[in-house]
Amino acid sequence: MSVGLNLPSSIPTPGDGDPFRPRPLHDPETPPASGQAEAPRRRSFRPEPADEVFIPVAPMLDMAFQLLAFFIMTFKPPTAEMHVDLYLPVAAVAMPKQADGRAQADSARIESELENDLLIRAEADELGDLKSLRLSEVSIPDADALGDRLRRYARTLGNQTLRVRIAADDRLRYEPVARVIAACSAAGVSSIRFAPPGTGTAGPSAEAPKAGGSP
Amino acid sequence: MAGRKRKRDVGVLNPNLTPLLDMVLQLITFFMMLIHFGAKLEGSAKGIRLPVAPAALPGRDLAFDRLAVGLDVRGQLLIDDQPLDAEATRSWWANQARLRRAGLETLDASASVGVGEELPTLVILRADKDVSFGAVRGVLMEAQGRGFSQFSLVLLRRERR
Repeated sequence: MSVGLNLPSSIPTPGDGDPFRPRPLHDPETPPASGQAEAPRRRSFRPEPADEVFIPVAPMLDMAFQLLAFFIMTFKPPTAEMHVDLYLPVAAVAMPKQADGRAQADSARIESELENDLLIRAEADELGDLKSLRLSEVSIPDADALGDRLRRYARTLGNQTLRVRIAADDRLRYEPVARVIAACSAAGVSSIRFAPPGTGTAGPSAEAPKAGGSP
Repeated sequence: MAGRKRKRDVGVLNPNLTPLLDMVLQLITFFMMLIHFGAKLEGSAKGIRLPVAPAALPGRDLAFDRLAVGLDVRGQLLIDDQPLDAEATRSWWANQARLRRAGLETLDASASVGVGEELPTLVILRADKDVSFGAVRGVLMEAQGRGFSQFSLVLLRRERR
């Protein structure tokens, strides 16, 4: 890298006489290189030698590459993991009646709360895949359609809380159920409960976990 | 003449490093902004393939007191990558609940949680996508019976490549 002041040689210096004096472009009488009168003028036109400013870029580049290597090696792509929150309250009236301290739910209270719940029924086929999905009595093709329908329900209900109860077969794989739970949670369902398998429209037994979805 | 020729041979190579340096510094900035230390996911185990649920939305911020458990494809609870059998699972949950109750009582006697009351612990459940729902339900029920009420199911938003 060099920084210097490169003046064009045609710029006259002080003491050169009248710079605006017209001169012929080609003067046949005075050849440019050999004239005696031209010699002092030449010397004054010679530019100063350019100052060389040398910045050592190599160490900086070394450091930059080291930093780059460090950040590339420690880089982890952002995860696609999501958390679906569930609130499964220990029954409010539960009291430790058993010796090992396990809470017992009050079945009468749970059943009275279940009357207004929407029932989602997920049935499994022999291989554990989803065979049918029903919302109350309506057959739903997949979890996305379920989400759309629940969103419409939530809009209809307005400020009222939308609660669902998921009754899935035990042999059903977790993935379809997880999709149903995620669809419910994303549709704004305020409370999700799990009912034991084989639950129809009747209420679940007292040991059914009761779930409130994320607010 | 010969001297001039030699001088020309030893010509100084002066590559323009400025664009290269610009690019390198830009890349450093990019990776610096994306870095997050301690990225090991809580309770993650290699054997667990999480279910994919495109509708999943991010939950709330994770609580201070967390308990991460895994559930492998056979329905066994994984604690620190070690599978537990049914009996060990029951005693593990009971032990965790007891330890947390004792800890809360030690921290603040007025905020202690009695048996049958809800613990403030968040249970993070990473269950395999092919495990039966009955096993997941069993884990939730077992934990719920011990006083855990806050759960967080870990799902994938998209297929992991």
